Amino acid sequence: MSVLRPFRATDMFKFNNINLDIWTETYGISFYLTYLSRWPDLCCVQEAPNGHMMGYVIGKAEGHGQDWHGHVTALTVAPEYRRLSLARKMMSLLEMVSDETYKGFFVDLYVRCTNSVAISMYEGLGYSVYRRVREYYGSLGLGRASKDEEDAFDMRKPLSRDPHRRSVRANGREFVVSAHDVS
Amino acid sequence: MSTALDRQIRPIYDALDTQSNKSAVLACNKVLKKQPNNALKALALVRLQKVEESLLLADEVLAKKPTDDGVLTAMMHVLRGLGRHSDIVAMFETAYKQHPQNEDLGTQTFFANVRVGNWKAAQQVATKMHKQFQDDRYLYWSIFSAVLQANDMATPEALRPVLLKLALRLISSGNTPSYFNPDRFYVHLLILRELEMYDDAATLLNHEIGQKICETSLVCDEIRRDIMKLKGACKQEGEQAKVKILEKKDRNWLEFLSLLDATFWDIASTSEPASEDVKAAVTEEIAKTRKVFSEAATVDGLKDRSGLLALLELEKRTKSHGLWTDACEIRMMAENYFSQFGDKACCYEDLLPYLAFEGEELEQWTSFLNSRKSFDTPDTLQRSINVYKLLRYNLTSAELTPELELARAQEYIKVYLDGLKFGVNLPDTELQPADDFAILVGHAYVSLWKLTGEESHLQSAAATLEYASARSKQSYRIRLLLIRIYHLLGAPALALDHYRLMNVKQVQTDTLSHLILSRAAMWSLAPLGDITYMSECMEASQIYMSNSTETAEFIARAFSTERYSQIIDFIEFEDRLDNSLQRDLMKVEHVRMRVAHEPLNAELVDMELIELKFIFDRIHHDNRDFEVIPNYQPRCQPSFNEQTLPLKPPGAGWLSAYLKVYIRAFQEASDLDETVEDKLLIGDRPKPSNDPENQLPLRERLVKKRQEEIDDLSEDEKLFYEYTLALSEWVGPYHDYVRPPPSALLAEAAKSNDLKPGHPLKSMAAAANGSATNGHSKKDEEPPAVKESPELIPKFFDDMKSRFDAVISGTALPSELLHIVATTQEAYLLFALETVRFKPNSIIKQYKFGQLAQSFKDLRVKASSILNEMSTVLAKLGEEVATPDGRKAFVQASSSIQDSSGFDHDFVLGVAKKTTDARKQTYEGIAKGLAKVVKNHS
Repeated sequence: MSVLRPFRATDMFKFNNINLDIWTETYGISFYLTYLSRWPDLCCVQEAPNGHMMGYVIGKAEGHGQDWHGHVTALTVAPEYRRLSLARKMMSLLEMVSDETYKGFFVDLYVRCTNSVAISMYEGLGYSVYRRVREYYGSLGLGRASKDEEDAFDMRKPLSRDPHRRSVRANGREFVVSAHDVS
Repeated sequence: MSTALDRQIRPIYDALDTQSNKSAVLACNKVLKKQPNNALKALALVRLQKVEESLLLADEVLAKKPTDDGVLTAMMHVLRGLGRHSDIVAMFETAYKQHPQNEDLGTQTFFANVRVGNWKAAQQVATKMHKQFQDDRYLYWSIFSAVLQANDMATPEALRPVLLKLALRLISSGNTPSYFNPDRFYVHLLILRELEMYDDAATLLNHEIGQKICETSLVCDEIRRDIMKLKGACKQEGEQAKVKILEKKDRNWLEFLSLLDATFWDIASTSEPASEDVKAAVTEEIAKTRKVFSEAATVDGLKDRSGLLALLELEKRTKSHGLWTDACEIRMMAENYFSQFGDKACCYEDLLPYLAFEGEELEQWTSFLNSRKSFDTPDTLQRSINVYKLLRYNLTSAELTPELELARAQEYIKVYLDGLKFGVNLPDTELQPADDFAILVGHAYVSLWKLTGEESHLQSAAATLEYASARSKQSYRIRLLLIRIYHLLGAPALALDHYRLMNVKQVQTDTLSHLILSRAAMWSLAPLGDITYMSECMEASQIYMSNSTETAEFIARAFSTERYSQIIDFIEFEDRLDNSLQRDLMKVEHVRMRVAHEPLNAELVDMELIELKFIFDRIHHDNRDFEVIPNYQPRCQPSFNEQTLPLKPPGAGWLSAYLKVYIRAFQEASDLDETVEDKLLIGDRPKPSNDPENQLPLRERLVKKRQEEIDDLSEDEKLFYEYTLALSEWVGPYHDYVRPPPSALLAEAAKSNDLKPGHPLKSMAAAANGSATNGHSKKDEEPPAVKESPELIPKFFDDMKSRFDAVISGTALPSELLHIVATTQEAYLLFALETVRFKPNSIIKQYKFGQLAQSFKDLRVKASSILNEMSTVLAKLGEEVATPDGRKAFVQASSSIQDSSGFDHDFVLGVAKKTTDARKQTYEGIAKGLAKVVKNHS
């Protein structure tokens, strides 16, 4: 139960309860405005009935030819609104727009290899690991330098334009590339 | 550009790209011998902060009416650096006029207008481009510029519909219909909505393509909902919502709201009392809607809260419309809701709107909740947290006695400590599941402090919350409470530590810096050279610079990508940040600290005068986020935020009062008058505001007191405000008499400028003319007769002294004491500022101001002695607080938390040491600062 609405520039004044959480990065103005000035339909907010922001997703469309796809740049839910399937709803909107408006072949996202909660959630939504990207993330700087923390899984889910599921593979976890090889 | 030239220019670009501005200038000079390229040199100079030199070069380049792409781009950066945005527009317009066939120049001219919000001109350029290049995109640029012009505050009311109608006519002239893409469709809908042509809008929306667009575009769907509501098509919306809820399983809360609105439409849409027939019909609708929501609730089970919550909302509205409903219905639904979703953290805020129970209902609800306390698993822990919060919410004033609150605080501590076991194995990046119990402890102790006035409760709160913060390092909510409590306890350094650990950055500095920078001057040790708070102000203000350089660019970009739906929001965002209340509150704080930190010379006075005058006309937006501070206080009490503010938060009235105080003082102390200021100004002036109030002459506005200002000030600040008015009224005439005439000043400026070889001041020619008429005639008048100082001035210092004494002997908090001290110090500094001009003996002799100088001296001596006394008392207090005895008192004060076991004595002692040390540091620092201020200005 939440209002699903577009992400607006002025939401930057309202997103503190979400962005003060350690897992959510606050970027400069130009980051948000870049996305909103190009892919506003891939950015949305879930809002509580009392007007508080609960979470948001920021995405884009990119790639060439068969690689044309929707990409989830940031997906976040404030701690007090977790376990309400909000992420699922925002992902389904992003998939729908990537499919119908942008006619992408798939949707992809990056996630820390250590973030098992998120990984199993995405698997539940139909995503699978396409490849492992070495040293994609910076260390969290919390004194635990582990490879898994810095490596990312590139996870993908095919859309209706890819009925033969060419954009995914079964053994993606073993397929390792370096961060330089991905855009 | 020839290849040879390109080769020569490349190193300049490289040097600019790598910020090696000095080598860029050298490289330019080399090339310049053969081929002039002053634009790049001007750019390098701007970046080197050599404004005057750059200005000159820039004017030279502009005079040649450049059309070359490279030159135009470089000049755009130069002029932006100089703040001359209107010159950018003129430059591109001139270039485009010379090459009307050049599409790129047209686009650049359009963007230049867009960046400064020049919608009328932008519309004209776009229209011209559309005629010339026949591209629908330019048509929409022109259409949307007209819409934005209609939206602009500066556009006369009568012109607005004309512009919108023009825009509408233009839409129908396009080669493709508006539903060619969602953003053009959005523009079309927006215009129809503004013109209140709802039926036309509905026709578009009901069209197959219109429907399709709204399905995938949230922006269009949002405006669709709005239009349907305005059109009064609520019932139709309700029917659609019903289908979406039941068949498509849509769980967007907006659909539920649509159905709710439709259900009560026949009663809610008219102000007439409803007839029995209408009531009966609505009751029938309610029953139908109840069925829909119940069905959704059954289908979803634990998966989604919408159905059950919508049922609650339905009952609430039924009751508020005076229709029959069973008295216990809402309570039973709330219980049902709690049973299903009580283990979700948001259950508390979900239920709040429905819990205004009283009497028997409240008793039953309370006993229901009491039976749901359980701490076996993490899920039941979350449920219990909700139980405690919900119980607290409905406490009545009778239940809020010190004894009962203390018992509650101890119970919260107990369950908090128990609950920690569920988080033992969590990594330190995770929040502790029991955190909210610690937050409740904080609330209970703050409430106890409010009830009893005893500071010890705040100390207990600090100790518990520090304990919780150490266990849940990422909990910003715990830190928020600590920030507030440490300020109350006179330990601002600790508040600042917690604020920094929250890692507030970028746009968050606008919404959150109030946490540490509200009236920061009162904590600042600036007189001692400690610029901590001044730097915080500067850092937090970075975002406004990014806003001015970046946001306008994205408005242009949204035109170029045809994302019209974003443009109004971008403009609003830019405006809210540019005219942010917090921005200028920080500016005033910075000025207050700067005055205490630096010598009061012309450089400070003139610069701040100009900057504050720029701010004065702004219409401010308050973006400060207070909502983020947790609040679990009972509904009969003020919120935690309100309870823990040391003073009323400064608002627009406060800002206006303080701007007036400082502008008046600087104006008097300064030699700059308006004519001089205009000549020395480099960048564009801010756009004048349209507020009729602002049309009055500045001098009149500065002495006008407004109720809004008075309401915003603390009692001490009110006295201070009166004091400053009396002071400037008294001293003003002497300043006016002694101030050198503008011509002398400009000549001075020219002279100092001539010292830099070969670069005369841009506007000197005009200035020299001015001097002929604005001569020395003034000095022929007699100097104004010297008057005694108004009684209010010495009285102010006496009043503050007695306030200080009263607070010292009472039980007031350190924050109140420091506020009094800071206000007195500020009054002293303003006195120094207002009298510095009359210090030199030559002035006193020349103008026969001997008697005036004596009055100043008497006042200064009086004020100094009061400040010195305050300083001595504060220093003594500082010493007392950080002794072992002081810490022991703190630990004893926190005995209630130790009784509840689990808290070890050493931990509490540690917090005590930190707090008392921080307070000592503040007291001693402020005491020394007072002495220094007195010494500097005696």
